[in-house]
Amino acid sequence: MFKKTNIRFIIIGVALLLAGYSLYWTIAYSTFSDEQVEAKRADGSLEKFEERIIRLGLDLQGGMHVVLELNIPKLVETLASNKTPQFDALLERSIQESKATDEDFFTVFSRNMEAEDFKLVRHFNDRGYKNADIIKSLEDEARDAMQRALQIIRNRVDQFGVSEPTIQRAGQNRIIVELAGVKDIEHARSLIQSTALLEFTLLKDPQVTQSFIASVDNYLKTGRREIIEEEPADEDTIVALKESKDKAVSVHELLGITEADIDLEDEQEDTSLVVDAELYSDKPFTSLLRNIGGSIGVPERNVYTVKKILNDPDVQKLMPYDSKFLWSAKPERLTTAAGKTENYYMLYHLEREAGIQGKYITKATATIGGAESKAAGQPIVNISMNNEGAKIFSRLTGSNIGKFLAIVLDEKVYMAPRISVKIPNGSAYIEGLESMEDAKNIAIVLRAGALPAPVDIIEERTIGPSLGRDSINTSAKVGLIGFVLVIIFMAFYYKGAGLLADLAVVLNFVFVMAILATLGATLTLPGIAGLILTIGIAVDANVLIFERIREELEKGKTVRAAIDAGYSRAFRTILDANVTTMLTALILMQFGTGPVKGFGVTLFWGILCSMFTAIFVTRTIFNYRTDRKILKTLSI
Amino acid sequence: MRFFKETNFQFIKFSKSAISISAVFLLISIVSIFFIRGFNLGIDFTGGTLVQVQFEKAITTGEIRDALASVNLQNSIIQKSTATNEFMIRVAQDSDNEDVPGLISQALSTMDDNSFEIRRTEKVGPKIGQELRRNTVYAVIFALLVIGVYISIRFQFRFAIGAVIALIHDVLFTLGIFSLAQLEISLSTIAAFLTIVGYSLNDTIVLYDRVRENLKIMRFEPIEPIINKSINETLSRTIITSLTTFFVVFVLVFATGEVRIFAIAMMIGVIIGTYSSIYVAGPVVIAWQHKFAAKKK
Repeated sequence: MFKKTNIRFIIIGVALLLAGYSLYWTIAYSTFSDEQVEAKRADGSLEKFEERIIRLGLDLQGGMHVVLELNIPKLVETLASNKTPQFDALLERSIQESKATDEDFFTVFSRNMEAEDFKLVRHFNDRGYKNADIIKSLEDEARDAMQRALQIIRNRVDQFGVSEPTIQRAGQNRIIVELAGVKDIEHARSLIQSTALLEFTLLKDPQVTQSFIASVDNYLKTGRREIIEEEPADEDTIVALKESKDKAVSVHELLGITEADIDLEDEQEDTSLVVDAELYSDKPFTSLLRNIGGSIGVPERNVYTVKKILNDPDVQKLMPYDSKFLWSAKPERLTTAAGKTENYYMLYHLEREAGIQGKYITKATATIGGAESKAAGQPIVNISMNNEGAKIFSRLTGSNIGKFLAIVLDEKVYMAPRISVKIPNGSAYIEGLESMEDAKNIAIVLRAGALPAPVDIIEERTIGPSLGRDSINTSAKVGLIGFVLVIIFMAFYYKGAGLLADLAVVLNFVFVMAILATLGATLTLPGIAGLILTIGIAVDANVLIFERIREELEKGKTVRAAIDAGYSRAFRTILDANVTTMLTALILMQFGTGPVKGFGVTLFWGILCSMFTAIFVTRTIFNYRTDRKILKTLSI
Repeated sequence: MRFFKETNFQFIKFSKSAISISAVFLLISIVSIFFIRGFNLGIDFTGGTLVQVQFEKAITTGEIRDALASVNLQNSIIQKSTATNEFMIRVAQDSDNEDVPGLISQALSTMDDNSFEIRRTEKVGPKIGQELRRNTVYAVIFALLVIGVYISIRFQFRFAIGAVIALIHDVLFTLGIFSLAQLEISLSTIAAFLTIVGYSLNDTIVLYDRVRENLKIMRFEPIEPIINKSINETLSRTIITSLTTFFVVFVLVFATGEVRIFAIAMMIGVIIGTYSSIYVAGPVVIAWQHKFAAKKK
């Protein structure tokens, strides 16, 4: 008997030592000053700590939590060649249907295809002949794309320099990114989300563009919409469009812009369009555009209207199907003959399919353009391609001398120089950047590689550092008050035994924290709530035992017998009750996202530990006392 | 010190009136949930954007609304929070790619005489909201199922029925209060509901455990006195435990944000859980017994 109690003490001692070791790192880490942390980071010893400490969740230390979804339909669209209106319509319909029914995109896509007896092989060569084979190959491609996207986003975040970022895959095509303590949310978001799809695309023949513009002019003049009246001339010129017959509306109303939108774009200036007064009646579309050194420039205030016109379904029909319009990345500031400065965005008419894509890039560095180049003194990004890329690039440039080649990044044109010579070595540079910062960012995303398809942010949570600090303070305060209340109550109600229960509660807290540290778990606000709740559950086990002992004592049993009976009877109850709560906690861990999961984790381990502390530890101490001498009374 | 010693309250005698009261409350809950008020679902489930912003100087919701008009968000829900000069701005469903938090911050910075700090933003896409809603319903059903199975194994089937009915009673009751008071239901509230499930079950199991024990001792007694005796014997423990839990949860009510709503849900749950383990879990077993015994004859 005596020996058995000793073994129990040894088990408790070992558990305490393990817990102490496990918590040592967290305690030591919390005493470090910022400089010490930096010093340790430099000599590499910080990693040892970071793996072993209890980390604070984003809700406690501030940061950003983003859930991204890879846009699979977009991937399919990018992979397809020789696109036709029929193909586009089929794709669009499949996207809408899979969104509505929450079905897998490929399932819907292949069903629609079968229904229309559509042959995919026309758009995807090298992927088999049968539709089923092509779909299977596309599905493989999507899986592969997901792997790449994960790797690419990881690379980008690593280069961004946030400490301990979490990047993990969730489900089929989602990625969760957690950046603790990040301040510049906007910057971080654009870095993660930018597709970084670099393309070199030939401009359409100017004649083709001209004839398209003319047909739009014609359409606007004679088609469904026509220009019918002119607003008073005190604010430049306001042109109103009319919807067929009687309803006269301003341009803004017709095109769906409200006053507020325009305030947003530029507050000081008036909301009118800038049109060439002589031209607008004859060539309404052309009047919105300017010829700037042979390229199409659009005054900033007209951009919205031009976009709207270009997106009009009827106008789209006029557009050559193998072409697309893209805008310049940043505006150019030009002074007109009248001495008025205005911002112009350039509008480019491009081939729909890229001449060469950015996947061949091996190096990208941000630098300042050299004196001999056109971009002297401007921030530029130098890029070099691998052999395969260089070959394609040399062929592309060689056979199109005299034409314009646009460098397009994420659907924005950075420059469109004329090809003067064949470029054989696969090196090029990008100019037209906002700032050096911008150049660096682009170099990062180009180096890390382009995302195989765009990613959509479907969930985003950010917590400012001050809120996190407040949360820690209140929850710590609240937790402490609850803790103290319970401890006082137990000591009061059960006297000596109550103190024992209090010891069990304190030990329980130590063990749970030790387990969290060992697991490398993250402590969130609901996690703290779970911890506080665990106090209540740990106490409950002791209440059950003590009530049972009291009952047994009243039946006239000796102290030792009452303790034995109390523990053995109560144990079954505690086990049943705790197992059911643990099952609930497990379900929470399973289905829960971030914060709720944290609650489940602390609750689960808290209950498990409470079984050890409230039953095993208290019993050991009871045993120790009854082993030494026969107690007549028990302080309970 | 002891609050209860050798009590012999006739709980079962009042079980009929207790059940009627429960039934009335449940009816009110159901009517409120399904027909009148519904739920005040947080953006976790509806999708949308929430921005928590603290201003340096005092400001009214009207002024904030005016500022938001510049980005066309004047229809947002603007609520004052418990912290000084702090507001919650909620924007309903938006498309996945619009940067609503950015727009709000842009709009607020036009007020040049009052600086502010964005303390928290949450953006949940409509798709995610739908998924969370579905997962939550699954989780609750799954939890009830697992618990039912576990009790069937450890006790008997009639106890499992009693326990699950008591749980449904508790959850429905709490949901009813949330619906009536229009308290927001978010992910942490769901966590609280599931904890209520676990907690109320604790009480129920402690009772059933005693019933199981007493069934062996009082083999020839009818079920009513056995259950009544068991309730009395476990009463002291039930009250003490509920009290200690109540202390802890009550303190949490003074915390901020989500934890506060969580604590309110828990507090309601502790009270109702204690009540239901006595007046729902017990009587259901009796009713089941009567039905079962009648069939046997």
